[in-house]
Amino acid sequence: MTGRARSGVPGVGRLHAWRAAIRIARRDAVRFKGRSLLVLAMIALPIMGVSAADVTIRSSQLTAAEKATREFGTADARLSDAGQGPQPVYQEPTGEGVVPVQENAGKKGLTRTVTVTGDDGSTTTVSSGESDPVDPLVALPAGARSLSDASTYAPVRTKYGLLDVDIRELKAVDPLAAGITELDRGRFPAAQDEMAATNGFLKSSGLHVGSRVTVRGLDRSYRIVGAYDLPSELDAEQLNALPGAFIAPYEAVRGEAEGIMEPSKPTYLVSVAGDFTWDMVKQANTLGVEVDSRAVRLHPPARADVPIYRTGFGRSSLVYDGGDVRAKAIAAGVTIGGLSMLEICLLAGPAFAVGARRSRRQLGLVGANGGDRRHIRAIVLSSGLVVGAAAAVVGTLLGVAVTVLLRGTLERYVGQRFGGLTLRPMELAGVGGLAVLTGVLAAVVPAIGASRQSVLASLTGRRGVRRANRMLPIVGVFFLVLGVTVVFYATMHNDSSYTAALGAALAELGLVMMTSAIVGAFGRLGRWLPLAPRLALRDAVRNRGRTAPAVAAVLAAVAGSVAVATYAASQAQEDRQSYTAELPRGEVAIGGYGEEAGDLGPLRAAVQKNYPVTGRVDVSRLYVGPASCTRQVGAPGCGRVDLVMPPANRCPSDGPTGAARLTVAQREALVHDWRCIGPGHPSAIPMDDGVLVGGPAVLHVLGVRDGAAEQALARGEAVLFNRAYDEHGTLKLMVIADVTKEPQDGSEPTGPVKTLAVHLAPAQEPYGVTAVVPPQAAASLGLRTTPLGSYYTTSQMPSGAQRQALNSDVAKIGTRATVYLERGYVGDDNLILLALTLFAGVVTIGAAGIATGLAQTDAEPDLRTLAALGAAGRVRRTLSGFQCAVVAAMGVVLGSVAGVLPAIALRRSDLHQRWATYHRAIDMGWGVMGEPRVPVVVPWGTLVMLVVAVPLGAGLLAALVTRSRPELGRRAEG
Amino acid sequence: MSSQPTPPAEPHDPSHPASTGAGRGPGATAPTASAEPDRTAEPVLSLEELTRVHGTGAAEVHALRGINLDVHPGELVAVMGPSGSGKSTLLTIAGGLDLPTSGRVVVEGTDLTTASRKDIAALRRRSIGYVFQDYNLIPALTAAENVALPRELDGVGSRRARREALVALEEFGLEQLADRFPDEMSGGQQQRVAIARALVGDRRLVLADEPTGALDSETGDAVLALLRSRCDAGAAGILVTHEPRFAAWADRVVFLRDGSVVDMTLRSSAESLLAGGAAQ
Repeated sequence: MTGRARSGVPGVGRLHAWRAAIRIARRDAVRFKGRSLLVLAMIALPIMGVSAADVTIRSSQLTAAEKATREFGTADARLSDAGQGPQPVYQEPTGEGVVPVQENAGKKGLTRTVTVTGDDGSTTTVSSGESDPVDPLVALPAGARSLSDASTYAPVRTKYGLLDVDIRELKAVDPLAAGITELDRGRFPAAQDEMAATNGFLKSSGLHVGSRVTVRGLDRSYRIVGAYDLPSELDAEQLNALPGAFIAPYEAVRGEAEGIMEPSKPTYLVSVAGDFTWDMVKQANTLGVEVDSRAVRLHPPARADVPIYRTGFGRSSLVYDGGDVRAKAIAAGVTIGGLSMLEICLLAGPAFAVGARRSRRQLGLVGANGGDRRHIRAIVLSSGLVVGAAAAVVGTLLGVAVTVLLRGTLERYVGQRFGGLTLRPMELAGVGGLAVLTGVLAAVVPAIGASRQSVLASLTGRRGVRRANRMLPIVGVFFLVLGVTVVFYATMHNDSSYTAALGAALAELGLVMMTSAIVGAFGRLGRWLPLAPRLALRDAVRNRGRTAPAVAAVLAAVAGSVAVATYAASQAQEDRQSYTAELPRGEVAIGGYGEEAGDLGPLRAAVQKNYPVTGRVDVSRLYVGPASCTRQVGAPGCGRVDLVMPPANRCPSDGPTGAARLTVAQREALVHDWRCIGPGHPSAIPMDDGVLVGGPAVLHVLGVRDGAAEQALARGEAVLFNRAYDEHGTLKLMVIADVTKEPQDGSEPTGPVKTLAVHLAPAQEPYGVTAVVPPQAAASLGLRTTPLGSYYTTSQMPSGAQRQALNSDVAKIGTRATVYLERGYVGDDNLILLALTLFAGVVTIGAAGIATGLAQTDAEPDLRTLAALGAAGRVRRTLSGFQCAVVAAMGVVLGSVAGVLPAIALRRSDLHQRWATYHRAIDMGWGVMGEPRVPVVVPWGTLVMLVVAVPLGAGLLAALVTRSRPELGRRAEG
Repeated sequence: MSSQPTPPAEPHDPSHPASTGAGRGPGATAPTASAEPDRTAEPVLSLEELTRVHGTGAAEVHALRGINLDVHPGELVAVMGPSGSGKSTLLTIAGGLDLPTSGRVVVEGTDLTTASRKDIAALRRRSIGYVFQDYNLIPALTAAENVALPRELDGVGSRRARREALVALEEFGLEQLADRFPDEMSGGQQQRVAIARALVGDRRLVLADEPTGALDSETGDAVLALLRSRCDAGAAGILVTHEPRFAAWADRVVFLRDGSVVDMTLRSSAESLLAGGAAQ
């Protein structure tokens, strides 16, 4: 045998000791497969998610070459009109920014004029504000090949209604376009009446390959002959047609119908011999043509070679600074990641503690053979290291495998095809490192606990009294007080809810640290409990060392869930309170303004067919100009009627300089001034200035029960719902002859004013209606009316099936007219709340289960004694059930308290912020707004679920899975 | 081989170990006069006025009362006594697993009562070997790895520790067990590997707490023969047993009752008595 020979370097010697520790831990992990797999799964699952996310994100980031191929196929460049008219321009290398070489080079001379034909046949010429178009082909280099690529948006009739779709004319089968599209099935169009559709379009339109597609306003249809995808926009809604098949005929029709029609500008994919160099780009720029070149993208020119950077554009060009957002995202990521790691550590820690407890004798033997505390710690830490490393490997591999296997699904989810599977070894190693770190951190507390055991106690199996750490609760109190102080400060003084959230997180951390002390306090409840739960509670309290981490894990999970649930419930309540109905509940409105008015007939038929309607009230609107103005709103020669407010009734803070003239005190006083209370309700039917033309029945459907007003309408007087427009019993209407000739400098329009006798009703603008004018009164003033829509009352709220039936009929009509059913406030379904409750429940049961397993291990001798004394087998089950329930109950009670409070604090902070905004708005004279209201709602349903159902379920589960017979022999200790 | 000593103060087990003749049992390695321990050398273990009191007040128990004992190189001391007499307490204190209430414990010149916990652990790695009644081996490690463990904990590289362990196993005739896990070995094999571990490196003090308690008598003899041979080779050992048959392998037998030494018999004197010679 060799002499006393220690390794010369202490660090190396320590390493050798670690190797022995890791060997023991590795073999033990294999020996106790169940426990190892449980912890491994706990750590590996999130690691799998993170590594899958990493691979997905990295794979979806394309290289410049991949991006270029998806944008212009095999072509060398895309030429397009720079939009500045036929004059030299400067462009950025990638064609994102373009400026004319001559700043303000008399845009007038270069802008287009459009000729419009009036109702009476006269023609006028107006400036379109657009530059003259430039044909990009003027810049086509000699000998180059080109392929046109043009697109326009058009309303396509679908199974469900109208969908504005990008219709692209590109010969997709041309070799130049290869890579822009991916044919999925069928083929690309080969004839003028064929189209191909993206899968995104087919999905949202309900159409399929073989269907016929029609476009509103165009009397020809196209057959869908194939489905394709755009690799970088898998959910894009696009139709592909042959060049000339759609855009030209469609624009001809629209041009006729609307007078003004901006023709779409085609771009050209260009293939040249060699590369399309930066010099060639600059050459094209001199002709007003913008170029996006593959060669320039791959090898961008030096900044000095880019003239645009020497112009004002370059100097003022703002680089979007995502720094703040990025920092917040990182902070959020670190917080979520940190809390998840804490949660996993709290859950996995007790599992390592069970392991250490079960292999006490083994650790004792190591001690007897000269292992000091350091070595014992190393062995238990190694068990974390081993499981963490295994979880890292398994999690990362699974993450990559999942990404590979689910590539198609992930590509759909992300919305684009991956360039290739991109694995970043350093990032994946970092993710794996997190798993190792989590495993080791989870084993720290059990390791320290195991190393503090005396070797003798470990060897003899004597159960020493395990005292909880006394420092931790004190540090916990400190964190709690600090956290609460920060929350208070945040709700009182600070504008940032981040501070409140930080305080809440600190307080929660403090609570987690205090758990063992709080668990001690729970012990006092014991004397009122029956035998089995009393035993369980006393056991939990006596062995705080193992109870506390489990309770803390439950606490942390439940607190998070309850906080979000409380906040969400409060937010939902606020949404409900701030919901403004557009009609009395159960009523239906249809409205067609302008072009859509033509669809009113079929719409009425559809509503009456599908809904249980009991009454219908038609309403009209006033219009000015020739009859064509009922359809062409805003066209030259068409006017409008405005309500005139007497100057004395105007809110003093209105107008460009209004607020500036007032003192803060005056502005505050105006908050409750009747002149300054803005329009209350949105209206279901779009109307001018809130004026409806109709009879007394209109009042009924607006929920106004006012005999005087009805009589007034019957008399031919208008009824006014806003006294600001009342001028000594009259209402003044200004007739504006031509909306296109309104002054553009912000001054008020002028025109002849007509006066109308008016009855002022006490109701304040019911459902967005300011005034109801009887038809005869309008006629007497020489104002023309045109149908606007109808209101319907119903005998009962239309059912989901009825709503769907109507939607389907409306879709067949293919209209953009308004169809509105007032259903009252309909909240989002509480899927998130449910998911959170489930998550908290699962964590609770998991943590309580682990703690129960630990308690059972500890209690094994007692249970054997009990069994020897003749206790029935079910005593084991009952006890373990209560042990589990006790841990779960303590966790959820503490967690609920710890969750509700920060949520309330956050809401208070919200309220504080809103008041701050409100006061600032008044101080700055931004206008008048309602006083802020931020309700706080405690989600009792969720809380009851958590506090009652979860512990009950956990207890029953534990009782069910506990063996009722004791284990035989002590070999199980290993 | 009729020179096997008999502890005089206890009823003598008539079945003589020599008659078993099992393997490397006493028949092969029975102590002879040539294996006389060197009592002039510095003792490997020295206990001076050792007292250990458990609990306080009414629950106070005197486990050991003023024990004095030196164990020299080459000497195997058997400790006998009824249950609760303090045998195991003596052993745990001698190995530094427990500390005495008063008195001194000196192992190879180091006073355990004043040494730090770390130093005591180091002493266990380098000087003291333990053998318990059963479950001595770490189930996650092979026989060779178990033997190598104290050396590895001491910072010796695993290859070198393994080499040393294999040498030790070979010396003990256990090389064929090197790569077996404890649950692939018999109880006797496990105990012999445990003794190999107790004496690996230059450890010279082996503390055996009823090492044969869980074995049949034949296997027990083989284990004790091994222990005896190691002491003859220069190690010092304490053997706690309540079987006189096994105590007969020792150079000296110490009898404990209620924490006090009530009798101490030297093998030589016993031998002398038997042989009719003068007592030492």
